[in-house]
Amino acid sequence: MKLNLTLNGTPRSADVPERTLLADLLRDTFGMTGTHVGCDTTQCGCCTVHVDGQAVKSCTMLAMQADGCTVTTIEGLGANGLHPVQQAFSQCHGLQCGFCTPGMVMASVDLLRRNPTPTPDEIAEGLSGNLCRCTGYVNIIRAVQQASQVMQGEAP
Amino acid sequence: MLLEAGKDLGISPGQVSAASPRFASPVAFRVDCRLRRKPGVLEDFPVYAFKYQRAESVGAASAALSADDSAKVLSGGMTLLPSMKHRLTAPSALIDVARLPEMTGVRQEGDHWWVGAATKHQDVAAHPGLQKAMPGLTTLAGLIGDPQVRARGTLGGSLANNDPSADYPSAALALQAQIITDRRTIEADDFFLGMFATALHSDEVITGVRFRTPQRCAYAKFKHPASGYAMAGVFVAQYAAAGAANGGWRVAVTGVANGVFRWHEAEQALAQGAQPPAMQRDDVIDDVHAPAAYRTHLALQMLAQARQSLS
Amino acid sequence: MNAPLSAQLLRKEDQRLITGTGQFSADAQAVGLLHAYVIRSPHAHARIVHMDLSAVRSAAGVHQVLTAQDMQDAGFADLPNVAQVKGPQGQPQTVCTMPVLARDKVLYVGQPVAWVVADTALQAQDAAELAQIDYDTLDAVVTYADATAPGAVQLHPQAPGNTSVKFEAGDRAAVDAAFAQAHFVSDIAVDSQRLVGSPMEPRAVWAWHDEAKGVTHVHTPTQGVGGMAGFLAHITCWSPESMEVHTHDVGGSFGLRATAYSEHPLVMLSTRLLKRPVRWVGSRSEIFVSDWHGRALLLHGHIALDAQGHILAMRFENQVDVGAYNAYFSTHIGARNLSITMGGAYHVPALHMSAHIYFTNTVPVSAYRGAGRPDIAYAIDRLIDHAAQQHGLDGVAIRRKNFIAPQAFPYTTANQTVYDSGHFEAVMDHAIGMSEPQGLAQRRAAALQRGCLLGRGLAYYLEASGPGGAAKDQVRGSFDAQGVLTLRALTGASGQGHETSFAQIVQNEIGLSASAVRYLAGEPEKGLVGNSTGGSRTLYGAGSAIKNLCQQFMDQAKPAIAVLWGCDPADIGHAKGEWQELIGAKRRLRFADWIASLGAQAAQVQAVGEAASGATFPNGCHIAEVEINIATGVAEVSHYWAVDDVGQVISPEQVLGQVHGGVVQGMGQAFGEHVIYDRETGQLLTGSYMDYPMPRAGGLLRHFHHETHAVHTDLNLLGAKGVGESGCSGSLPALANAVTDALRQVGAPPMDMPFTPAKLWAAIQAAPRRP
Repeated sequence: MKLNLTLNGTPRSADVPERTLLADLLRDTFGMTGTHVGCDTTQCGCCTVHVDGQAVKSCTMLAMQADGCTVTTIEGLGANGLHPVQQAFSQCHGLQCGFCTPGMVMASVDLLRRNPTPTPDEIAEGLSGNLCRCTGYVNIIRAVQQASQVMQGEAP
Repeated sequence: MLLEAGKDLGISPGQVSAASPRFASPVAFRVDCRLRRKPGVLEDFPVYAFKYQRAESVGAASAALSADDSAKVLSGGMTLLPSMKHRLTAPSALIDVARLPEMTGVRQEGDHWWVGAATKHQDVAAHPGLQKAMPGLTTLAGLIGDPQVRARGTLGGSLANNDPSADYPSAALALQAQIITDRRTIEADDFFLGMFATALHSDEVITGVRFRTPQRCAYAKFKHPASGYAMAGVFVAQYAAAGAANGGWRVAVTGVANGVFRWHEAEQALAQGAQPPAMQRDDVIDDVHAPAAYRTHLALQMLAQARQSLS
Repeated sequence: MNAPLSAQLLRKEDQRLITGTGQFSADAQAVGLLHAYVIRSPHAHARIVHMDLSAVRSAAGVHQVLTAQDMQDAGFADLPNVAQVKGPQGQPQTVCTMPVLARDKVLYVGQPVAWVVADTALQAQDAAELAQIDYDTLDAVVTYADATAPGAVQLHPQAPGNTSVKFEAGDRAAVDAAFAQAHFVSDIAVDSQRLVGSPMEPRAVWAWHDEAKGVTHVHTPTQGVGGMAGFLAHITCWSPESMEVHTHDVGGSFGLRATAYSEHPLVMLSTRLLKRPVRWVGSRSEIFVSDWHGRALLLHGHIALDAQGHILAMRFENQVDVGAYNAYFSTHIGARNLSITMGGAYHVPALHMSAHIYFTNTVPVSAYRGAGRPDIAYAIDRLIDHAAQQHGLDGVAIRRKNFIAPQAFPYTTANQTVYDSGHFEAVMDHAIGMSEPQGLAQRRAAALQRGCLLGRGLAYYLEASGPGGAAKDQVRGSFDAQGVLTLRALTGASGQGHETSFAQIVQNEIGLSASAVRYLAGEPEKGLVGNSTGGSRTLYGAGSAIKNLCQQFMDQAKPAIAVLWGCDPADIGHAKGEWQELIGAKRRLRFADWIASLGAQAAQVQAVGEAASGATFPNGCHIAEVEINIATGVAEVSHYWAVDDVGQVISPEQVLGQVHGGVVQGMGQAFGEHVIYDRETGQLLTGSYMDYPMPRAGGLLRHFHHETHAVHTDLNLLGAKGVGESGCSGSLPALANAVTDALRQVGAPPMDMPFTPAKLWAAIQAAPRRP
């Protein structure tokens, strides 16, 4: 079945079986393997991308549901260099193995869009859909706080 | 009960676990199904491909469902798609209603608020009018799943699925909801028929829900530490007393038993200003995560928390 | 936003990982790639009566179906068991290895039974459903009591009583004598419950066969390509030259990536037979029933003290559930790792342990973060606190009185383990000093106001980092014409930041900028010897080899510098990457500048650094305060203080990151994680994240304070001890002691992990006292 969408700013089209998940479309059809699949119960968040500006779990969307939508993946985030969230994740050592990181970053970007100056509790709640096994989340929360400060024009 | 061959129960994987320890893992459930088949029936085993169509209108969606009794409505997909991925349900077609404007939105209608069935949880949670009129509903919507799930999941999908641990059914029961479909209006008290069962016909489409504006309401939820569903969720709403035995109070409980229910003893206790008694039910969920006694205790706790939020 | 990236990133590996350009094994594309699916047992225990896979073979897109018969035809061996031990009278261990594909029986839900290869993964999965497999189900046993009961169903005919071996270590007679004259005796059994490690990247493997060269290339996450290649050679019985393992980015390991699983040899065979690349990627639900499980240990500790509180002896009776088969490291865990540090940080004159290593109808158990050492640390410090409680002694005073003194090192334990170094009392005092003890009464009262019981627990752990199975660690280093140093070795990373730490070591040693150093461990290195990552030894193991490598570079350079300066080599000294003329003009030359001056000649500067680095003994003191909400049973870690002796610290941020990760994994085990099997059917009741509560953001939100207290070790060139697993070893006993302390305030007895809300609430409800 045919579909059209805008992927990381570029119009793309595909013809895929209906049962194709958005995550599969991104990874297999479009070769954007930065979006990861970490579970099969919609809980780990490694597959998080932005659809029409909202963070969603691409493993629990059909590709067809994204027909006509604007999709941004981790590859499209730092279109002009690194996004402040990406930088903050590295600088605060908010990643170790990096597998959860694309989804965590996409969820964090959306969190800051909705709440530009979140408290640590609000950050934790905002990332409740994302699992990390390596970092213990301490530095991830610090990273989001630092990104928030940078994006508000404050010194980190 | 869960193994009736050929019956599409639309059970989400987590609910297999929570509700019935005997068939906890999707692998076990699926294969037990297979083993029950008689020889020679394997050739008929459903193929997992399906047709996908975006409905042009509610009428078109309903017609598509009538034409194919293995077709299902797709709204947010937050429970249907995981179920399909685990091969617990295999519809022949998905009728996508998520973008129908007539099924999306929030508006006041006199002493009710109408919420479109395809309205996302995050939009309900953030709606200023609803926040003022029935804060329990917006609190509830903001506690479903996680942010990404709330960006996709919808009211209609939650109600139609009637997961015994889902949140929305408690709001519908407590807020005297009218479930509006493509052909009729069903009162909430008549809608929920037990675990994963509703009064909907197989080709019927929920278009929206009218919640009756209460004097006040609140929702308190104890999240399951793994799934994030309600281990106990209590919705409390107060309406004008009008001589009713329950003094206008409505208390609905989810996550505790084999389906959402009105907690009449708690309503009466609220009306009398008394302490609610311990819950007496023989269908309280008892599993490896929480024995029945703990769940009924949590119900009392959540009732107390909800009461506290009322003021 | 467009400034040089290296200036803005903490680690080199971050550049690709934060931009989604990492290469995890499921990301690779290959022309003609085929996809595999594993048909797994739905039963915990059954005989395979009949298998008809004809419908699978003829299904759409299917290229191949393999069963145990094909494994036999290919001459494949079973998955190996790494360590074997004997019983106390020399009785051999009954080792029951796991077949790649089940032969006549299945012994656990999830066991691989058959293998389907098709054009797409979905086609393979669709086809698998057409399999007609008749099972004759048998009783299943999933608990120690059931598995070892007289008359219990036997998993393996050669293992009566479902016993693999009863192992002993230490001196039973000396321990018995000590207990006989003890003034205080105490005992407690603690359950270190079965867990899933669950690194976030699901297991995946793909392979292709190079016909021309006769080499099968295997791409998979590992903890070291050499270690994995060894296991694959063992299973396939193919020559080591005919296979190469390649590892790219690894999404966490925690011990679970070190070994080959059934899918590894299967993709290798498939690709050779089909002459096309073949890939298998696990779903998370499959991972729950196929990644080796972790822990599953019951430790019953006994302690004997004299009237002054000196420890006279410790004894442990341990039950080691290895699952359905002896796979890889379970015996190593149950025998060696539970015994080598069973005295902990204390001077214990007599030690003895017995371990009953037994089979159950569950997923086989192997190494998961700590592999027995957090478990024994847990048991020891629970035992000490319990003894203190029972006999009205002070737990901190007992520890202080019994710590091995700093001057006693190197210290040989009663069961012949040699500890390198430690300042245990100083570390404990450092931690206590940080932990605001004077405010405890007030914090308890404040918690009670909020309806919470506050408990405080202190634990001192000691653990042994991995000794390494290889004779030494080697790292090859060579320069290119641009002066970039490339390091090649066999110890791979899965998040530990090796690329950055090792570059840091080079920078520390010879002043070469870390940005000019590359570390590669994903390709097979012919002729190099070295350990895989594991046992928290890589930083000091491979790192010491790198230090030696740097020394060699400096030594290689010296004659050249002497020529350059026209002086005697004896008149040149060097320090921290700079040569200094010791007499005369006192010229100086930095190593980096010398390399740069060589231009293309730099390629001639190469060496293989090596070092033999044994086990070290990281240790530390963790103190936790936990608040338990009386109304709901929900526990929250309100304060956590930790001081770890990890020896010399190379990268402080990464050390802290490892501690965070280890402590939160400990919190996961303490407060909710638990693999639960149905006792009757052997079905897995916690088969997904819907039922297995993984820690989420916010658990360590409150006050967390960590410091290191470095005590040098002579056992490697860096003076570093491991840190990767220490977070688990410290957190389990600290958290458990804290919860026990909280429960004690209402007179509730100690309980086993996980301390779930339901269990805590019930315990407080049933307790004799109100707070």
